[in-house]
Amino acid sequence: MMSLSPSLGSSYPWLKELKSEERGLYLIHLLLTCANHVATGSLENANIALEQISELASPDGDTMQRIAAYFTEALADRILKTWPGLHKAINSTRVVDLVSEQALVRRLFFEVFPFLKAAFLLVNQAIIEAMEGEKVVHVIDLDAAEPMQWIALIRGLSARPEGPPHLRITGIHVRKEVLDQMGHRLSEEAEKLDIPFQFNPVVGELEDLDVERLHVKTGEAVAISSVLRLHSLLASDDEPLRKKLPLALKNSNGIHLQRALQMSQNTLGELLEKDTVNGYSPSPDSASSSPLSSPVSPKVDTFLTALRGLLPKLVVITEQDSNHNGSTLMERLLESLHSYAALFDCLESTVSRASSERLKLEKMLFGNEIKNIISCEGAERKERHEKLEKWIQRLDSAGFCNVPLSYYGMLQAKTLLQGYNCNGYKMKGENGCVMICWQDRPMFSVSAWRCRNSL
Amino acid sequence: MSGEAFSLPAASIGGFIQDPSNANPNPKPNANPAKKKRNLPGTPDPDAEVIALSPKTLMATNRFICEICKKGFQRDQNLQLHRRGHNLPWKLRQRTNKEVRKKVYICPEKTCVHHDPSRALGDLTGIKKHFSRKHGEKKWKCEKCSKKYAVQSDWKAHSKTCGTREYKCDCGTLFSRKDSFITHRAFCDALAEESARLTSVAATSLNFRNDTVNLPHGFAGRGVQDVAGIPQFGSGFPQDFSGMPAPGLPEMVQMAPANLFGSSSHFPGFENGGATSSNSNNLSLSQLPQGLKEEGRNEGNLMESLSSLYSDNQNKQSKANASPMSATALLQKAAQMGSTRSNPSFFGNSFGVMSSSSSHTAPTFMASSSASMSATSNNLDKLMLQTGGKPSEPSLLSMHHPGSNSFAQSLTRDFLGMSNDQSPRPFLPQELAKYAAIGSTMGLSQFTSSNH
Repeated sequence: MMSLSPSLGSSYPWLKELKSEERGLYLIHLLLTCANHVATGSLENANIALEQISELASPDGDTMQRIAAYFTEALADRILKTWPGLHKAINSTRVVDLVSEQALVRRLFFEVFPFLKAAFLLVNQAIIEAMEGEKVVHVIDLDAAEPMQWIALIRGLSARPEGPPHLRITGIHVRKEVLDQMGHRLSEEAEKLDIPFQFNPVVGELEDLDVERLHVKTGEAVAISSVLRLHSLLASDDEPLRKKLPLALKNSNGIHLQRALQMSQNTLGELLEKDTVNGYSPSPDSASSSPLSSPVSPKVDTFLTALRGLLPKLVVITEQDSNHNGSTLMERLLESLHSYAALFDCLESTVSRASSERLKLEKMLFGNEIKNIISCEGAERKERHEKLEKWIQRLDSAGFCNVPLSYYGMLQAKTLLQGYNCNGYKMKGENGCVMICWQDRPMFSVSAWRCRNSL
Repeated sequence: MSGEAFSLPAASIGGFIQDPSNANPNPKPNANPAKKKRNLPGTPDPDAEVIALSPKTLMATNRFICEICKKGFQRDQNLQLHRRGHNLPWKLRQRTNKEVRKKVYICPEKTCVHHDPSRALGDLTGIKKHFSRKHGEKKWKCEKCSKKYAVQSDWKAHSKTCGTREYKCDCGTLFSRKDSFITHRAFCDALAEESARLTSVAATSLNFRNDTVNLPHGFAGRGVQDVAGIPQFGSGFPQDFSGMPAPGLPEMVQMAPANLFGSSSHFPGFENGGATSSNSNNLSLSQLPQGLKEEGRNEGNLMESLSSLYSDNQNKQSKANASPMSATALLQKAAQMGSTRSNPSFFGNSFGVMSSSSSHTAPTFMASSSASMSATSNNLDKLMLQTGGKPSEPSLLSMHHPGSNSFAQSLTRDFLGMSNDQSPRPFLPQELAKYAAIGSTMGLSQFTSSNH
């Protein structure tokens, strides 16, 4: 077993004297160093790095301190997984997030940031325009948790010059309570506006969805909306080998490490199936040609094909626009450092440090995402955000072609972003798709699609 | 006159509807407890009676005809009043048919969509207006803008608003409609240039929380508008959205979603940067914006005052240098520091070569990492192992030498756990400062090059 270093207290008193900028830079260095050690299996060194980071990082501090806190927790979690028994034991009494907490965090994300609101404006406008002239509209929400989007759509549709259509919304979600709540609110709104409306809840995991349960009827015009959900379908067990584990055995420090690693190799055996020279398994089915592309994910392709089988009039995809699906830890760490730095900066600029809501967002939303990206592998690693170009490729191969987003919708979204009275939010259009950015960094992308060769 | 003394002659096509928008025969539709569901326009009630009128009859002004003397009236009420004068026997005064069947009308024009009974319209006045608008001659002309209308009420409605509200973009284009003005402005080149000019000044400032920097920028765009003489916009672009009533459907559609998301409830204790109603919250963060607001409205040289404000802020900031850097900026700095070194010597081989405190040569091991290892983590790992695997070379390292070549090495040694006996090293703050200043990331640049 790894020799347990005595808790050193503050054996690095000088660390406390660092000024904000130096500390920030130092934290970055430490994080990278630590991650590298973790990737190579030099856990002793990783431990020392973690020790130092803990002295500097803090969920209440400045932006970099907060980011570091969540990244180190994620790295520590990853290290701990090398001893699955230990990992399970330490988490055995952890309280699972309550439904109400999850709902609160979702709501916070919706309120504090304009990203979702802007995306909803774009999505809804795309739907309204695609459904012009349609009498019966069926909207399918692949992750129905936020009623505001559909309330806005209901209002938008009721204001149509030709009058509202008969509207059906099918919502998919794991938790029944969330769907019930949503159905209630939407029916209420539709009732107020005198629109014929039906809400169909579909309880279950999206991964296990059978499209028959969506009850798409002939003659109705179908629109499918996916908001920050599709990427989890990229999760699969086909993981390329975590690189450089064999190299670690050369570490002179690590005779005990070797033993530990051998042990862990057995337990992590299923993850290490494909041991290739280059550290990845190129799949012949993969649409992308770059060697470090994400592994083939038949699940998402099957799913998209099934959706296409419903002959939807419109499919709108909203996704995080970052590459958090790199095959190696270092890739993911670097990329996610940048993305979450932007998100944390955004919070720093718009919300006070003392705010408990900000803390919740950072911890329960971003912290959990970071943990998933950094410490999980295989099917467990669900936060597989990818850049828009990858999604474009996927949708293209599934038989969809791009529908440029409405000029009018973009205008609405842009106005909303400007109204947030914070210069950081920007929007840019690219090939008919829209990227919502913080400063120069695209954070979210929205794109609309229709079936190719459809009538 | 009693209420039930209406009688509808069988041949009459008199309208019975007071409120054209509601086809409910009940005279008091609001009192009706079972609220009737409105059909889609042009989707009539299946058991309604379809009435087909010829264009002449439709356009006839006097369509209420007295059966006794054949005199024509524009309104049913007038006809009834007139009929009283004929001294009719009581039973003929009553309506012949108590139960009124709903009537729907079709457009006489064969090519029209509404010619088909399944797309008939429920209101006579409606079908008349429709016929005029679509198939009739436009006899009414607006004086100001020469726009023509077939229906007098449309013309009147237009004349009221024509020219009363005009929107002018900075590029000089005039708009009568708010929505087209807004659409234009969002994508107008002139405006883009203006804001680009200001953004470039703001972008160099790393502190986004500084309200005095924020606000001028946010205001600049609006100030420009003010200067251009559009008083009704005031200082808050989105504020107007919530303030103005929605005269037309397109505007409603436009405003409703923005409003919906813009004015959703806020959490207490939030300095929410969003929503129309929270603009004031942000403004109150510093006194400056209030002053700016007034300035913006009244003075034409807002731009100058804003620019000077900007430069002042910038100067202040660079002098003080107390504002916290954003995490993104830190990462960029770290990347830059990692990439600007060009000394190719390896860490492991050139301890002696490393010179002293000069800022660009000391962390040559950093340089070597970025120069020699372009992309593969293979090499990085090697380096890491090198650094990790040299616990037995304490001779190369000298402690406590401010700014010496060993400074960086000993630092690394500490981080990477080269020595197991960690004596608490009293690092002098200035050493660390130099360290931070000269670079701290092992080849961060090699990873970040592809990530932006």
